[in-house]
Amino acid sequence: MSTSTSKIASQREELAEINSASSSRGWYQWLLIGVSVLFAVVSISFVGSIIIYSIPAWAHPGTLLTGKGWQSPTGPFGGFAMIIGTFETSLIALVVAGIVGLGTSLSIVFLVPGKFRNIIATLVELLAAIPSIVYGLWGFLVLAPWMLKTFDPFVNKFPFASTIFGSPGQQFGPSLMLASIVLSVMILPTFVAISREVISAVPSEIIEASYSLGATRWQVIKDVVLPTAKIGLFGATFLALARATGETVAVALVAGGVANAQFHLLYPGTSIAAWIATQFGEAQGTEVSALMALGVLLMLINFSLSLISRSLVNRQRKVLARV
Amino acid sequence: MEKIMSDATSAVNVGSESVKTQNQIAMSLKDVAVSFNGKVAVRDATFDVTKNKVTSLIGPSGSGKTTLLRGLNRLHDLTPGAKVTGQILLEGTDIYRGDITVTELRTRVGMVFQRPNPFPTMSIYDNVVSGLRFNGIKKKSILDEVAEKSLRDAALWESVESRLKVSAGNLSGGEQQRLCIARALALDPEVLLMDEPTSALDPIATLRIEELMVTLKERVTIIIVTHNMQQAARISDDCAFLLMGEDRAGELIEFDATEKIFNNPKDSRTLDYTLGRFG
Amino acid sequence: MTMIDELVPQPENTGTRDAIRRTAHAHRARRVAISRVMMILCGIALVLTSIPLVLLLIQLIVRGSSQLNATFFTKLPQSPSLVDPNAIGGVLNSIIGTLALTIYASIMAIPVGVLTGVYLAESRSKLAATLRVIAQTMAGAPSILMGLFGFTLIVKYLQIGFTAIAGSFALAVLMLPVIAISTEISVRNVPDTLREAGLALGAKPHKVSLKVVIPSALSGIVTGCLLAVARAIGETAPVLLTIGGGYLNEWRPLNPVSALPLSIYMNAKSEWPSQRAQVWGIALVLVAFVFVLSLTARIWASRKQKRNS
Repeated sequence: MSTSTSKIASQREELAEINSASSSRGWYQWLLIGVSVLFAVVSISFVGSIIIYSIPAWAHPGTLLTGKGWQSPTGPFGGFAMIIGTFETSLIALVVAGIVGLGTSLSIVFLVPGKFRNIIATLVELLAAIPSIVYGLWGFLVLAPWMLKTFDPFVNKFPFASTIFGSPGQQFGPSLMLASIVLSVMILPTFVAISREVISAVPSEIIEASYSLGATRWQVIKDVVLPTAKIGLFGATFLALARATGETVAVALVAGGVANAQFHLLYPGTSIAAWIATQFGEAQGTEVSALMALGVLLMLINFSLSLISRSLVNRQRKVLARV
Repeated sequence: MEKIMSDATSAVNVGSESVKTQNQIAMSLKDVAVSFNGKVAVRDATFDVTKNKVTSLIGPSGSGKTTLLRGLNRLHDLTPGAKVTGQILLEGTDIYRGDITVTELRTRVGMVFQRPNPFPTMSIYDNVVSGLRFNGIKKKSILDEVAEKSLRDAALWESVESRLKVSAGNLSGGEQQRLCIARALALDPEVLLMDEPTSALDPIATLRIEELMVTLKERVTIIIVTHNMQQAARISDDCAFLLMGEDRAGELIEFDATEKIFNNPKDSRTLDYTLGRFG
Repeated sequence: MTMIDELVPQPENTGTRDAIRRTAHAHRARRVAISRVMMILCGIALVLTSIPLVLLLIQLIVRGSSQLNATFFTKLPQSPSLVDPNAIGGVLNSIIGTLALTIYASIMAIPVGVLTGVYLAESRSKLAATLRVIAQTMAGAPSILMGLFGFTLIVKYLQIGFTAIAGSFALAVLMLPVIAISTEISVRNVPDTLREAGLALGAKPHKVSLKVVIPSALSGIVTGCLLAVARAIGETAPVLLTIGGGYLNEWRPLNPVSALPLSIYMNAKSEWPSQRAQVWGIALVLVAFVFVLSLTARIWASRKQKRNS
């Protein structure tokens, strides 16, 4: 595997040499380079413009990161509630979707008979392509009334529930809890699509080898499949987390849209992306910069998550290349 | 104790054959056929595998050698739609219908595959003892003892003794295949199935594996699928010749001592094949 | 027992073998039971995943299809009133707006994305390596950021205002990296022997690229573009900040337009039950668009694979 890659690489180098040697770069080469530079310019101005418009807000970085209130239109603009809300909802969603999703992928690969496997895989990928607004809509019009009618009274029957979920009588349908549920349902297909692929990429040879040594199906999964797929599965997890933290409209619909810094699960709250979406319409002056600054934060979170997930996926490829 | 009991019952069951013969047969196949979703891949396999001998399955591609071999440790259980009919006895116990679980069967009938397939995330040591660990054997002293013995039996101990904790991916192809043999031997199986174990190896590594098989048969009965007729002639004692029938299903043409199959076969098609006239 | 012992040839390490077999036997029932339980748990996870997703699909189809009629597709939206709470009109403006946005965005994104992808695949320069990292990072960026970008650059800095062009620019930025990456992959998958054959025949490198490499990668490139369009068509956040919305049949680039996802977002919060019900119809149409695009892409890709193999 690796030898053939390096062979291809060396051939590519030769080709590249032929390319550059034959004439001082034709119009075609210049076109490709020109367009690619255009792409680079667009990408740089993407990052740059958001940062530039956010600059006025960084006069009070402390307020922006840890301030608890958001007073439109004059400020102060505190981002604490949004930052925590983002992590709270995404992490809950990730834990739920990660555990349930991993079980789902494993049963698609190891339980579902072959002829249904492709149908289910296609279905999962289609579900992953459904626009997030539709998940948000479902959460808002179906789940929220259900939460209000069934879930809240049920949860609040338990003693001490109010410490986590908030005290009874305060709840609305839209809440951080609902946002977490909608996010988990939304990222499930994405996570399952990727993790199923990672798990099916584990070579059948080593799976058969472990069965041949008398392993049970679960032992094959636990001792051979999961260790081999581990890094790729972490990659899938970070990708799902990146998707959850960046989700905008679904959260905007179901989280309640309140800059609430109490973080009880049944209280309304918001996330960075959702807050930008809900406040942007009426924002003026410094509030726009403050929202842009939240955008910069979101960008930082997202870029680091995708950087991690990409390096994990690359490492997984190397692991499989050794087999 | 368990094993002896089951031996005793099966000896009674068989009855017609003498006890002595029964004890010399490791596996006995009767009218074995494998089909996938109703389509027959191989059929009419009837032969006895003698203990402490090498039995080879030869035949052109599509004759169902590998399919038949994989039926002997129930690997087809993993394929939906696969069905094995007929009777396969391991020391007198029917492996599909008898009083034996599939996990137990696989500890008694080991398998070595076409391509070396060590577990990539495990060290050399962990690879060798993986079968023991799967089966609940955790005692360090037993693991160490068996690891050394299996690696010695696979003629790999000298070269890996100092780097047992190194990842198995660092070994050469031939060493990896010997590691896979050691891994299968660690469970001390009665029968070792080998599916073209040298097809991915260079000639020198192939030769070493062949030498290994000849010494190993003192310890374990070997059934090997091979494309390479010289290999079958060199190492096997008995030989089964399979051929694809007109309905594209493989069938057993002839089973006999290797020497007879190659020098004096009963069926003219066997002669044609061993002389290289087709396949 | 002794009689049989004598008849069976005894290997040297019978002690260890027996110990192994005994321990294995003692653990077997437990191992098999654990495996059963864990596999049942996995099956439960599959059911848990299916329940909300299947419910969502069923509700979408049932509630959505009841909204689809001639008015829905051919009329402009109306504001319901106490006199006529069901006078909601149709969503023609959003359908036109979404089509316009998607077309403009494709015109902007596809040429740049495809050529960038070809460059990424064929060049080994530092620029290409840097661009690849940028493209991969951009492809996962939250779509609200594209909205902010469209707003700052087109709406504010260039003072063009809330327009179709601002929205489609935001969507184009979203599609660009996706197209570039999928193009790079399909061009890379063209076997080098094809390239070499072209070069060996004395063709100029750019001719080889245009006449040999790109045509053989074409179906992969088309698949990537379709998937990018499928993603852009359903994005709400970028258009929320850029297109302005409106209730007219508007498609011109320099005017504000509406879009399907935007009217879902707006009308879901409506006080009128009739409007909230209509949202399901809009969602169904949107999902139908996305599914048709994704399935076409998928069939295209699988057909290509069959041909290649």
